[in-house]
This record gives sequence, structure tokens and C-alpha cells, in this order.
Amino acid sequence: MRSNKLGWMLLAPTLVILGLFGVVPFIYVLWVSFHQWNPFAANPEMIANGADNFRQLVFDTGFLSSLSVTLAFVFFAVTSELILGYALAQAFMKDFPGKAFFRTIHTLPLIMAPIIVGSIWKLMTTPSIGIIPDLLDSWFGYDLNIGQSAVAAFVTTVVMDIWHWTPLVTLSLIAALVALPADPFEQAQIDGASKRQIFWHITLPMIRPAIVATVFIRLMDALRVVDEVLMLTGGGPGSATRYIGVHIFREVFPRTNYGYGSAVSVVVLYITILVCWLLYVGLIAPRNNKA
Amino acid sequence: MANVTIDNVVKRYGAAEIMHGVNVDIDDGEFVVLVGPSGCGKSTLLRMIAGLEEISSGQIRIGGRVVNDVPPKERDIAMVFQSYALYPHKTVAENMGFPLKMAKRPQAEIDSKVGKAAQILDLSHLLKRYPKQLSGGQRQRVAMGRAIVRDPQVFLFDEPLSNLDAKLRVTMRVEIKELHQRLKTTIIYVTHDQIEAMTMADKIVVMRDGRVEQIGAPLDLYDRPQNVFVAGFIGSPAMNFIHGRIQSQGAALQFVAESGLVLPVPPGSAEEGRAVIYGIRPEDIEIGPGGIPVRVAVIEPMGAETQVFAKVGNDMIDAIVRQRIAARPGDELPFRIDVSKVHLFDRATEKRI
Ligand SMILES: Nc1ncnc2c1ncn2[C@@H]1O[C@H](COP(=O)(O)OP(=O)(O)OP(=O)(O)O)[C@@H](O)[C@H]1O
Ligand SMILES: [Mg+2]
Repeated sequence: MRSNKLGWMLLAPTLVILGLFGVVPFIYVLWVSFHQWNPFAANPEMIANGADNFRQLVFDTGFLSSLSVTLAFVFFAVTSELILGYALAQAFMKDFPGKAFFRTIHTLPLIMAPIIVGSIWKLMTTPSIGIIPDLLDSWFGYDLNIGQSAVAAFVTTVVMDIWHWTPLVTLSLIAALVALPADPFEQAQIDGASKRQIFWHITLPMIRPAIVATVFIRLMDALRVVDEVLMLTGGGPGSATRYIGVHIFREVFPRTNYGYGSAVSVVVLYITILVCWLLYVGLIAPRNNKA
Repeated sequence: MANVTIDNVVKRYGAAEIMHGVNVDIDDGEFVVLVGPSGCGKSTLLRMIAGLEEISSGQIRIGGRVVNDVPPKERDIAMVFQSYALYPHKTVAENMGFPLKMAKRPQAEIDSKVGKAAQILDLSHLLKRYPKQLSGGQRQRVAMGRAIVRDPQVFLFDEPLSNLDAKLRVTMRVEIKELHQRLKTTIIYVTHDQIEAMTMADKIVVMRDGRVEQIGAPLDLYDRPQNVFVAGFIGSPAMNFIHGRIQSQGAALQFVAESGLVLPVPPGSAEEGRAVIYGIRPEDIEIGPGGIPVRVAVIEPMGAETQVFAKVGNDMIDAIVRQRIAARPGDELPFRIDVSKVHLFDRATEKRI
């Protein structure tokens, strides 16, 4: 066996950084979540209140509604991104004039800061000056007003997320598709598989690891969306787009309700882990057991 | 079951033409073996028959139907790739049953056919494994299995036994031959292996650099190779070639090598003075009284036979004899050539005279 000491030494910087910026803050948030702490209240001290924050959460209709709109948002956004991303990846596998150009511009949204994406979309969707309401009105006679219509606001945030993050899905699926060996596909044609059968029986299982990894990343990111939505709708109208991240933001900053905000964060983390675990059980574990 | 016609087929990759008008007629139920050195276009031809490569010009017909523009799945062919091409995410059983599943056959039928094929191929204990958990030879057998569970019009095999050990190769050779006799399905089979080609084929197609050199029954090619290439390619160990001229000796003709060695030729085989290549197979040389004395360079006893290499000038002559040889390198041995087995080729065209 090699020396373990050297290994630990090489790992040490990473572990220190990880501990300092990951584990310590997490433990701190966990600690705060068991306290009542509002630095600007009459009593600015941290007062331990056991699981009161969590107890309160379960009956907090604001939290529960925000949780359900978040899950809806995540579901629609990630599903569409996956389907659209796959279609684009397949399109980029073929040769067509201007392919390199399209591939480059289609990744541009990725390099934009979420806050900028939010402001662009706000500009584009503001009634009477934005291009989107204008076009929708002249093409379909539809009056888009995300300040008033809850559905319109929700759909717009989903579309914005799709616009922002589909390129990520496309890129990782292109990488997966490019790495696929050619012969199983040729063999499948000879074995009499149709295009659809090849997709379900060969392509999909062979890029499954990339799909799962991408879905995990997108899921975790989408669950904690804040800045774009805050910029675009501010969580409204009403609480139509008050996703968890926005909810925590509104709870912690304007109301300086740190203890309660921390408790929400902990629950969200728990839900994220839960969703990922369900996905793991559903998608990966059965495969591994069979192998 | 179907006949296959390859009609003046040309293959180009961009500007590079790698197949220059290949013609092969394959009868219904025939076992045809394609042989040729590496890179001569065997796999490419097979892939064109399968529909995986476009045909640049010419025609391929399967069962009378022109298939140039027919996609692979509608050609009703089974193929074993040189690289096996197993589905990595499917078990052995799923791999072998895949063509049947695609054809939407009932599961019971799939299971029984896969089970039967697995038994023939000695894979029964591996059905639940994944390809990455198999050895090269086992993978090759799975690929074979996936082909034989079907009942296609034509089987295409691209060096399906190249990764098996000698014993398994013999077993599988017999299995494939037996399969062919039972099913009577047309088979097109690519191999490097002389013995496979000679023992299995109804008809051998010898290719070189994208051209067909000769087509014929195995013994035809062995007895009457049309040119030096085929003569050297068919038969193992390879035929001896000696450069020289035909000269007359009184009324008879004889061959005089550049080294001065004089060898007998069949009467009336070529005109006097002609520059020729003299070919004689090692197994058509005997050691015995009345032979031409040659100096032994190397002796390789192989048990049943002994291989004797003799050096004459620049030419090395190789003989295989049934008897044991007591001579040592440097000794002289009399090589007796069976004159009826001599092959003469024109020096310039390398064609058979
Ligand atoms: N995509 C391609 N582009 C250009 N040339 C190619 C391509 N594929 C094959 N070739 C060329 O075509 C020729 C025939 O290749 P092929 O694979 O048919 O040879 P082969 O007879 O099967 O050889 P082996 O016995 O080594 O398998 C080779 O010279 C090869 O370099
Ligand atoms: Mg090949």
C-alpha cells in the first residue's frame, strides 16, 4: 500500500476549503434554524426555540404554496429543457450550413448572469414597451401582462428558465451522443429496429448516465432559482411565482427573520435531496442491481 | 433465402476509389467466402450488401430486388460484425433476442430460440451477463448467436471466428457449416483464415485492393490459380515462386532459374525463351531418388510432416514431406517435383500460362 499520509496531505487544501465554505455554513444555518433570531426586533438575541420554526413551517400556507409552485416550475422547466435539449443535440449531430455559428450563439444564454437574464426578460415582457407582448398581440391577439395574470407570469418564468438553461442540456447531451460508438446503431438497423425502436432501446439507455447527471444538475439549480425570477416578477403577481428561493429571500431580508428563513432553507435542502434520491431510485438503482 | 448479385460495384470515399467494379454472383443457398489481405475491401463490400455503406456506382441485388436504396432493416439480412457490436447495456440474452424483440415476436418464442442458440454456442451459463463481463471469444459467440436466432435471407459474417482459440474455432467452424446445411441460407463469410475458406466455402472470392482476383470452388483455386497473387494466397504454406526462363533441351522443355537451377516443366506448357514465374506447392515436392539435389537450409519437424527449406541461389524452396528427415542443414537432398503440379505464370502479367 502507498503512504496514506501523502494522500491526506494532497487532499488537505480541498478538504479545508470544502469545510470552510460548505460544511461550516451549513452547520451554522442548521444551528440558526433552531433559534428565533431577528436582529432588528425588540430582542435582537438568538433565542433557542427548539423545533418551533419547523412546526410553524408545516402550517405556513405561504411556504406550502411556494413549495407547490416551485415543484410545478421545476417539473415544467426541466422536462421541457430535457426534450428541447435532446432535440437540439440531435440537430447539432447532423451537418448543416452555419452549424458552428448556430452552436456558438445557442450557448450564449449560458454565460449570462441570472440577474441580467432577469432584466432582459423584464424589458422584453413589460407591456407596451416589450417585444414579446407586442408580437403576441399582433400575431395572436393575446395580451400578455405578467404583472396581472398569474398563469402568464408562471409560464413566462418557465420559458425564461428554458431559454437560459436548455443550452446546458444540449451541450452535455451532444457530448454524450458524440461519444457513442457507431456499431450498436448499425447493428440495430440490421436487427430490424425502426428509428423509434433505436431511440428507445439503444440511444436512450446508452446516454442514460448523461441524462441523469444533467437532470440532477438542472433539478438542483431550478429548485433554488432566485435572482432571475426576483428580477422578472418579484414573485408576483400575488404569490404566483414566489418560488422557494424568492420566498426565503422575502422572509429573510425585508423581514430580517433569520431563524425562520434558515429553517426554510434546511427544509428545501431536505426536499432537494429527497427528489434526487427518488430520481436515483427510479432511474439508476434498478440498472445497477441488474448489472 | 435469396441469391445475391454484386454487379460492377464501385466504392468511393471522396476522391479515393477503394473498390473498382466488383462482380460476384452468389446463388441461393450458397456459402461464399471472401478472402484477401487486410484493407482489400472485404468489410466494405459486406457493409454495402448490408446497406450500411452507400454504393457509389453499380448494383447490388438480393433475391432479384435492387437494394441500392433499401435501408438495412428492410433487407432481411443478419450480420456479425468484425467488432461484435454488442449492445453494452443489454444482457447476453437480451442481445441475442433483440432482433426477435424488434420483430415483436412473443416472449416465449424469443426465450426458446435464444436458449437453443445459447446451447449451440455454449453460452447458456452466461445469459444474464453483460458484454463487458465477457471475454473476446464469448462476445464473438454472442454476436453469432444474435445472427442465428433469426431466419434471414442472407447471413453476413465478418471474421466471426478470429478471436477464438484453435479448438473453439474448429468447433464453431463445424457448427456454422452444420447450420448452413440445415438452414440452406445464403452465407457470405469474410475471413483471413485459409483453412476456414477452404473447408467451409462452396465458392471462394479472392480480393485484392478493391478488385476480384478470382472466383471459384476451393479446389479450383488451389489447382488452377489464375495468377501469382491467388496462387500465393491460397494454400498454406504458400506456393514456391522461382523466376526464370523456359529453354529447350533437345525436344523437351525445361525451366532454368536465374540462379541456374534447372527444373522440369510439363511438355508443351510454354514457348521457348519465355520469361516465366515457376510455381510449385511445397506439398507437391517429394524427397527421393532421381530428384534435383539442393542444399538444405532449415528443417522443421512438425510431427506428422517435415518442412524442409532449401536455398538455391537467391531462391528459397520449401517442401513438405511425410517422411522424417535425418539430414542436417548444409547436406544435399534430392527434391523430386511432381511435374503435373507445376504452375507457370507469365513474368510480365503474372497471369497463368
Ligand atoms: N471511411 C473511410 N474513408 C476512407 N477510406 C476508408 C474508409 N473506410 C475504409 N476505408 C478504406 O477502404 C479499404 C477497405 O477497408 P475494409 O475495412 O473493407 O478492409 P478489409 O478488407 O475488411 O480489411 P481487414 O481484413 O483488415 O478487416 C481500406 O484501404 C480502408 O483504408
Ligand atoms: Mg474487415
